[in-house]
Amino acid sequence: MQKIKFYGIGGQGAVTAAKVLSIAVSVYQNEYAITVPAYGHERRGAPVYAHIIVDEEPVLLNCYVYEPDIIAVFDENLIDKGVDVAEGCTEDTVVVLNTASRETAERYREACGVKKVLMCDATHAALENIGLNIPNSAMLGALAKTGVVRIESVVSAVKEAFGKHGEENGHAAEYAYEHTLEA
Amino acid sequence: MAVKMFDGNGAAVEAIRLARPGVIAAYPITPQSSIAEHLADEVAAGRIDAEYVRVESEHSAMSVAVGAQLTGVRVATATASVGLALMHEVCGVAAGCRVPIVMPVVNRSLVAPWSLWCDHSDTMAERDTGWLQYYCANVQEILDLTLCAYRIAEHEDVMTPAMVCLDGFFLSHSMQRVDTPDDEAAWDFVKPYVRKNMYLDTNDVMFINDLCPTDEHSEIKYQQYVGFQEAARVTKEVFAEYEERFGRKLHTVESYRLDDADVAVVTIGSMSGTGKYVVNQLREQGVKAGLLRICMFRPFPAEEVAEALKNVKVIGVVDRSAGLGAAQGPVCTEVKAACCGTSSKIFGFCGGIAGRDISDGSFRKIFGELTDVAEGRSETCERWFDVKPNAMNIREVDVPC
Repeated sequence: MQKIKFYGIGGQGAVTAAKVLSIAVSVYQNEYAITVPAYGHERRGAPVYAHIIVDEEPVLLNCYVYEPDIIAVFDENLIDKGVDVAEGCTEDTVVVLNTASRETAERYREACGVKKVLMCDATHAALENIGLNIPNSAMLGALAKTGVVRIESVVSAVKEAFGKHGEENGHAAEYAYEHTLEA
Repeated sequence: MAVKMFDGNGAAVEAIRLARPGVIAAYPITPQSSIAEHLADEVAAGRIDAEYVRVESEHSAMSVAVGAQLTGVRVATATASVGLALMHEVCGVAAGCRVPIVMPVVNRSLVAPWSLWCDHSDTMAERDTGWLQYYCANVQEILDLTLCAYRIAEHEDVMTPAMVCLDGFFLSHSMQRVDTPDDEAAWDFVKPYVRKNMYLDTNDVMFINDLCPTDEHSEIKYQQYVGFQEAARVTKEVFAEYEERFGRKLHTVESYRLDDADVAVVTIGSMSGTGKYVVNQLREQGVKAGLLRICMFRPFPAEEVAEALKNVKVIGVVDRSAGLGAAQGPVCTEVKAACCGTSSKIFGFCGGIAGRDISDGSFRKIFGELTDVAEGRSETCERWFDVKPNAMNIREVDVPC
């Protein structure tokens, strides 16, 4: 069982990304997932969370993730917006961060007390491939580097979920996967 | 049978599509909105051949639903929270006129204060309105129970409307894999709608829901009472047929590792899976823990509940609504009444209000309290769980004397 928490900002598609991840593991890897979004009245611009649990067996747990194995941070500024991204992290938690800056990656490593930070400029991947600052498909590509989901599954699920924009979002995911580094 | 991906609201829409309604009247309300929206998409795309009536309120939505279904067509609607509260009057009309409408309700807290998030205060407030109520544990069950609800509600011995209750966000917005019957197999199960009671027909007029004198009203209520009694039997028959056709077992109540349990929780809705997870953890630690999930809340399966729990020493019933002023929360009240002839100690727990998570940690605490009672370390349990210690200071206002 892998417990994952997404941290994003309203408009970045973090909740949609959680649903697409569920499709990727369920349809393309014959595994199981539950997703619980936690968003409020706020929409664009406010912090948004999504909780995902992935397992090879049907998932019994249907609640939030308190001790994540992986966190994916869709916006590098969240740490300065009063969001406690370190909540529940242990040194074995893997952080997947949307950033181009090694300095920022180190800041997250220290704040979360983790050993492993995967960094990817998902915003650039999105702008380059879909022409919009919506990094969710790219972040799923970066997430595939953790091994929790295969990149082929991500690309197939992204294509399925994004309809007429599926092709370019699939490219964003692949591009991000190829440009994800361990900080 | 195909594996499809749906969130809870999507599964409700798929079940409605498979049941081929002829009229849809729904008013969007969080967290139900995507049901109203996607039903409109299905009609616009020609995948549902229905007239979609855009109503100005939930009161109107249920009024349209009652009127339309009385003409002899299957109707679809859905709501949540205060939308259901606004429907309350017309829900009674549907029940008393024996119009077997099937309605997904996405559970969300009632006012006040305002909340968009999940608890059961909305549907529990309707529990004695004359509707059947089924509470879903996961997204698969939303599809399964909605399909079954048509068969149960519309059965000639039942003729009683049904709510399929699904927890807001925890199910409505959770994307899960759903084994989905193909259109023809589902239609062969649900079957076309046939009116079996009063009807609206301009060529053959009749009074419906007119002023009923006292010397008949008790009898009409008695008829509804009998309908509920029949619903308990019909539910089991329909669930058995569903399992035979589609291979999935459905439950009025579901016993989980109860056979030799010393302590057990009774759950309802989406918290149940988390409860089972904790039962498994405790079993590995040698604690004889179990769980009983209530799926069919109306009619309440009292005999089944009593039978399932009869050998459990200490029981905690988890209510996801406050049950203000009651001896216990609504689920616990029912369980206590059902088990009044047994020697089990039964404690009510209240939590998960307005979206507060009921986590594995919550269940571990509850089981800890139950075990303390079972082993003689404690006499009683705290009724409210996961409440902040400074509860009485939250939004405190200083009033000058």
